[in-house]
Amino acid sequence: MSITRRKVLAGSAVGAASLASGLAAPAIAQNEPIKIGYLPALTGPSSSTGIGINRGTVMAVDEINAGGGINGRKIELIVRDTQSDPTKAVNAVAELTQRQKVALIWGPVNSGEALAATPLIARDKVPMLHPCWVDELIDVKKYPMAFRIAPTNTQVGGGANYYVVDVLKLKKVAVISDTTGYGTASVNTYVPMLKAKGAEVVYTNHVDAANPDLKPELLRMQSAGAQAIMPWSVNAGFLSRILNTRGAMGWDVPVVGQTTLGSGQTKALLEKPENWNKVYSNNFRQVCFAGGKLPERAQEFVERLKKAKVEMGDTLLWWIALGWDGANLMAQTFKTAGTKSDDIVGYWNKTKDWPGVYGTVTWTPEQHNGFPDTEVVMCEVNSLKDGAFNLAPGYSA
Amino acid sequence: MFASIVSYGLAVGAVYALIGITYNVMFSASRVFSFTAGMLGMLGGVLGALFIARMGLPAIVGFVLVLACGAVLGLVTEVLTVRPVLKSIEQHLYVLSTLAFALMVQQLVAVEWGTEAQPFPRLIPIGPGWLDQQFWLPMLACAVTIVGLELLYRKTLIGRAFLAIAEDSYAARALGLPETQLRMASFALAGVIGTLAGFTGAEMLLAFFGNQSILNFYGFVPVALGGMGSNRGAVVGGLALGLFQQAANFLVGGIFAAVAVFVVFIIVLLLRPEGLAGAAAARRV
Repeated sequence: MSITRRKVLAGSAVGAASLASGLAAPAIAQNEPIKIGYLPALTGPSSSTGIGINRGTVMAVDEINAGGGINGRKIELIVRDTQSDPTKAVNAVAELTQRQKVALIWGPVNSGEALAATPLIARDKVPMLHPCWVDELIDVKKYPMAFRIAPTNTQVGGGANYYVVDVLKLKKVAVISDTTGYGTASVNTYVPMLKAKGAEVVYTNHVDAANPDLKPELLRMQSAGAQAIMPWSVNAGFLSRILNTRGAMGWDVPVVGQTTLGSGQTKALLEKPENWNKVYSNNFRQVCFAGGKLPERAQEFVERLKKAKVEMGDTLLWWIALGWDGANLMAQTFKTAGTKSDDIVGYWNKTKDWPGVYGTVTWTPEQHNGFPDTEVVMCEVNSLKDGAFNLAPGYSA
Repeated sequence: MFASIVSYGLAVGAVYALIGITYNVMFSASRVFSFTAGMLGMLGGVLGALFIARMGLPAIVGFVLVLACGAVLGLVTEVLTVRPVLKSIEQHLYVLSTLAFALMVQQLVAVEWGTEAQPFPRLIPIGPGWLDQQFWLPMLACAVTIVGLELLYRKTLIGRAFLAIAEDSYAARALGLPETQLRMASFALAGVIGTLAGFTGAEMLLAFFGNQSILNFYGFVPVALGGMGSNRGAVVGGLALGLFQQAANFLVGGIFAAVAVFVVFIIVLLLRPEGLAGAAAARRV
C-alpha cells in the first residue's frame, strides 16, 4: 500500500478531530454518573401512583447499572419526593436543574405537581419526560423539551366513548361528574366528543360528591332511557354510591369511566361484591389480559418482576410498567444520543413506535404526546390479578 | 320516591340537628360559636371506623371510645381555643382560633387516615330499607340526645347550673357557681354529642375527612333557623333542612339542590333574623 499525500492529510484530519472531541473533555467526565432528576410523589394523598411507578423505575435503573451502565457510566437517580404537593415539586425543580445540573427530569408523576413544575423546567431548558394526563402539560411551543409517555385526558375520555359507542353499540348515554374541576372539565370535554360520535347524551349533570343519596340522579338517568352511565370523578365515595344505588335498584346498566372505578378504595365501599359487575374502567391494551393471557412483552415483564421479587399485589401492573418504560427509554436515549439537552430532544422528536411494556411511544417535532389512541382500552374492574385486569368484553384480541 | 325523601331526609336531618345541638351546647356555656362542631362530627365517623373496622374492637367498646375521644377533644377545644379569647369576646377572635384548631385536626386526619372516603361498619345487621341502621340510628341518637338534654337541664342541679351560666355568667359566678368547670363540662358534653352525630351518621356519610366542612355548614343552618341556643329549634331546623334538601335533590337534582337550600336559608333569615323558634333579642337601654 503506497502512502499518498491525500491519505496523510486525511489521517491528520481524523487525528485532529479526535484530539479536539475526545481529549479536550476531562477524563473524569467520561466516568461520572449520568444524573436523572426524578420527582415521584412517594408520600401524601396522591402517592399510590408514584409508589407503583417508583418500583418500575428503580428496578430498571438497577438493571441498567448492574449491566455496566450507559457506555460505562452509571445512571444516578436524584430522587426528590414531591409529597403530592406542587410547592415541594417546584422547590425540587430549582435544585435539580440549577444545583444538581441533571441531564433530564423524569416526572412529576401527578398532574397537579406537573402543572406547577413544567413551566419552570421549560424555563431552565432541561428535557422533561412525564406520565401525567392533563392535556395542557404538552405544548411544543411553550414547552418544547417536555414529552409525555402516557395518554392525555382527551385520549382517556375518547377511549371510554369509543367503548360505549363503537364496541358496546350503545347510543343513549348518561354522563355525570362531581363538582370538582376535573369532573366538570371532563364532562364538558367528553359530552361533545360523544355527540360527535353519534351518541345521544340523554342525561348530564354535575353532582355534589358529598350527597349521600344518588337515587334521584339514577332514577332520572333511567327514566331518560340511559343505556350506559359514564361518571367522571376520582372520588371513590361518589363512585361507590353510584354503583351501590345501581345495585339496590336492580338496574344492570353498564358503568364506564375513569380508573378510580376499579380502585381498591371504591371496592372497599361497595355494599355487595356484585355491585362491581358490568363496571369498566380505563386501562391500557399492552397490560391487560386478553383471553386469559397478557401480551408477550407484558408477560415477560411480569416474569422479570417476579424474579426480582418486586411486590405487585398492592399496586397496578401499568404503574410499574410505566416506571420501567420511562427509565429504559431514558437509558436508550443517553446511549444513542448522549446527554446534551438538544441531542436528547432531537432524538425524542424522531422516536417512532418505541416498544414499551406499558405502551408504544411515537413522538414528532409537532407532537409530544406519545401514546397511541388504539392502546387506550377499557377493562373489567372485578378481574384484578397480578396487578392487571381483563380487557372489557367486546374488544378483538 | 316519597319513602326515599323521608328516610334519607330525616336521617341526614337528624345528623344536622345533632351538630346544631353541639354548636348550641358550646354557645350556651361560653357565648362562643365554636367551629369545631363539624370536626367532632367528622371524627365520630373516622374514629368509629378506625376502632371497629380497622382495629377490630367490639362495636360497643369502639362506640364508648369514640365518645370519650369526643369529650377529651371538647376539653382541649375549651382550654386551647376558647379560654384564651374569652376576655375579648367582642372581637370574635374565637372564629379564628376554633376554625384554625378544627382545620389542623382535619389535616392531621387527612395525612394519617387518608383523603379517600372509607367504609363504616354495619353494626346492626338488619335491613335493607327502613330498618337499615343508617336511617334509624341517627334519628334514635337525636331523640335520645334531646330528651337527655331536656332532663339534664330541667331536672338536675348541674343542668340548672348550666342554664344559669348560659343566662348570665356574671351573676352565676357571683352566686358561687364554678363557671370555668361548668364551661369545661359543657364542651366535653358537646364533644360527646358531636362525635355521636358523626358515629351514627357514618354509614350514610362514610368515614371521610371532607365531611368536616359539610357538617360545619349544614350543622350551622339549623342553629340559625331554629334560633341560637334553642335545642328544640335546632332539631326542628335540622329535620326540616334534611327533608328539604332531599326533596330538592329529587325535584331539581345536581348542584341546584344545594342552591335551593341556600336560597331558602337566606329567605328565612331575611324574614325572621332571630330564627324560627328564637325570640327577638331585647336591648337594654
